Amino acid sequence: MNHVARPCSSTLPSPWRPGLLAGLVIALMAALLWSACTGALGLSWDMLSGNANATTWQIWWQLRVPRLLLGLGIGILLAGSGAAMQGLFRNPLADPTLLGMASGAGLAVAIWIVMLDGATGSLGLYGQFVAGFLGAFGVGLVIFAIGARAPGGNALLTLLLAGLAINTLAGAGGGVLAFMANDQQLRQLSLWGMGSLANALWPSVIGLWCCALIALWGLMRSRNDLDLLQLGDFTAHGAGLDTARLRRRVVLATALGVGASVALAGIIGFIGLLVPHALRLWIGPGHQRLLPAAMLGGALLLIIADGLARTLASPAEIPVGLLTSLLGGPYFLWLVLRERPAC
Amino acid sequence: MLTLKEAGLKGPPYLAPFNAHIDTGELLVIIGPNGAGKSTLLGLLSGFHCPDQGSVHLDGRCLSHWPAKALAARRAVVAQKDRPIFAWRVEELVTLGAQGQVSQPWLHELDLTSLAERSVLTLSGGELQRVMIARALAQLDGPVLGTRYLLLDEPTSALDIGQQQSLMRLLRRLTRQYDLSVICVLHDLNLASSFADRIWLLNDGQRIAAGRPDEVLRAQQLAHIYRAELEDIPHPSDRGHWLALKR
Repeated sequence: MNHVARPCSSTLPSPWRPGLLAGLVIALMAALLWSACTGALGLSWDMLSGNANATTWQIWWQLRVPRLLLGLGIGILLAGSGAAMQGLFRNPLADPTLLGMASGAGLAVAIWIVMLDGATGSLGLYGQFVAGFLGAFGVGLVIFAIGARAPGGNALLTLLLAGLAINTLAGAGGGVLAFMANDQQLRQLSLWGMGSLANALWPSVIGLWCCALIALWGLMRSRNDLDLLQLGDFTAHGAGLDTARLRRRVVLATALGVGASVALAGIIGFIGLLVPHALRLWIGPGHQRLLPAAMLGGALLLIIADGLARTLASPAEIPVGLLTSLLGGPYFLWLVLRERPAC
Repeated sequence: MLTLKEAGLKGPPYLAPFNAHIDTGELLVIIGPNGAGKSTLLGLLSGFHCPDQGSVHLDGRCLSHWPAKALAARRAVVAQKDRPIFAWRVEELVTLGAQGQVSQPWLHELDLTSLAERSVLTLSGGELQRVMIARALAQLDGPVLGTRYLLLDEPTSALDIGQQQSLMRLLRRLTRQYDLSVICVLHDLNLASSFADRIWLLNDGQRIAAGRPDEVLRAQQLAHIYRAELEDIPHPSDRGHWLALKR
C-alpha cells in the first residue's frame, strides 16, 4: 500500500497558477498607481517627486495614501473572508453578511452614533472602530456558541439559521435607531451605511491593518483544512480534519476582519460574495489558489471602484458601496440566470 | 488492531455497548435494516462519534488520543451522503488528504483514468462513489507501518452489478495484498455473502449476531429482523447460501 511517498500537497499544481497570481498583483499595482494619481485634484509623479508643494504633499500623504491602504486592506479582508466562508459553509453564496457579522457590526456602530451620540476627538475616531469590531465579534461568539451546542451534522444549518435571525434582528434594531436619530445622526448613519472609504486616516488605517494581519494569518492557515472540509464533515474528519477547530478559527478571523472593515467603511456589499465566486469559476475551488487570488481580486475591485467613486462625479464623491452594488448586482443576476448552481 | 471495549452510545443515536476486534486483512461487512445503527457504528469505529461508555482503540491506544493526522494515515472513511459542492477536477479531489501525489494508481485501480480531468459535478452517482473510494485509498497510501482501516458506508449503493463486483473484488484483493482491513456497510445481503470474511448484524442499535457469512445470513433470523419473507438458496460453490425474497 505504498505506491509513492512524496511531500504532502492537497491540490495539484496548475501550470497557470503563478501567472494568475502575478497577473493579479500587476493589475493591483497598476490600479493603486492610477487611483493614487486620480481624484478631485489630479496628481502626477512629477508633482510628487520633484516640485511638490506642501499642499500637494499633504493631499497625497494624509488623504490618498491612507485611503489606498484602507481600500487595499478592506478589499483583501472582505474577499478573503467571503472565500473562506463559502468554503466553510460549502455554499457558493455564503459570505460574511450571511452569518450576520456585517449587520452585527453595523448595528453596534449605529448604536454608537445614535445612543452615544458619536463623540469627538480620538474617542470618536476609535469609538466607531471599536463598536464595529465588538459588534462583529459579539455576533461571532454568539453564532459560535449556538454552533457548538448543535449536534454535529446540523451545526452548519444551525449557524446559517442563527445568522438569518441575527440579520433580521440587526435590521430591526437599525430601523429603531434610525427612527430615534436626529437629522444629523440620520445623515451620518445613511452615508456610513452606504459604504465609503472617505474616513481614511492614518490611525484608523494602522488599526485596520493590525486586525487584518491577524485575520489573514487565521484565514491563510486554514486553506488546506478548507479543502479537506469540501469532502463533507464525516469524510473530512476521517481525513484528519478537526472541523470544530477550523470553524472556530475561520469564524473568529472573519469576525475580526469584517468588524474592522464595517466600522471604518460601512457595509460594502458584494465583494465578499462575487470575487471568490467569479475566481472559483476561473481557477477551481482549491483554497491554496483561491484564497490568495480572492484577496488580490477583492483589493483590485475595491481600489478600482473607489477610484471611480472619487472621479465619476468629481468633485463630489459617490459612496463606494453603491458602486460595488451596482457592479455586483447585475453580475450576480447574470450568474443566477446562467443556471450553473455551483462553481 | 481496531478494538471495541464495551463501546456504546447513549444516544440518540443509540448503540448498545459491545466488545469486538477487527483483524488485519479482514473484510468485515455490517448489515441490518434501515435505522439499525450501521452508519453510527461506522462513526464510532472511525472516531467521529466519541463513545459515551467504553472505548475504541487502535493498536491499544484510544482513538481520541491519536493525533488527527497520524490517525488519518491509518484509517479513511467514505461516507454515504457527503458530496462535493464545488467543481473539483476528479484528479484534484482524489489527492485531498493524501499523503503524497498518489492519485494515478488509484484512479487506474477504480477505472477512473479517463475521468481524471472531469469536474466531479458532472459525474454519475456511481462514478462519484468510485472517486470517493479512490480518494480514501490514496489517503491510506503511504509509508506508515501498521494495519490500515478503510471504512465504507454503502459503497455499492449507486453502482451497477458489474461495478459492484469489481469493487468488492478490488477490496478483497487489497485486504489480501496489503496490510489493510475493510469495514463496509452493505444492504445487499448476497453481495455480503459472496465477499465478506465476517458479518456483523445490527438491529435497533444492538449487534445481535457476528460471524462468518454462513453463520449470520440465515433466512429465518433475517426474515424476523428485516420483516421480509426470505428463503435460503444453496450457493453453487460451497460458500454458504444466497437469500431470495419470496414472491
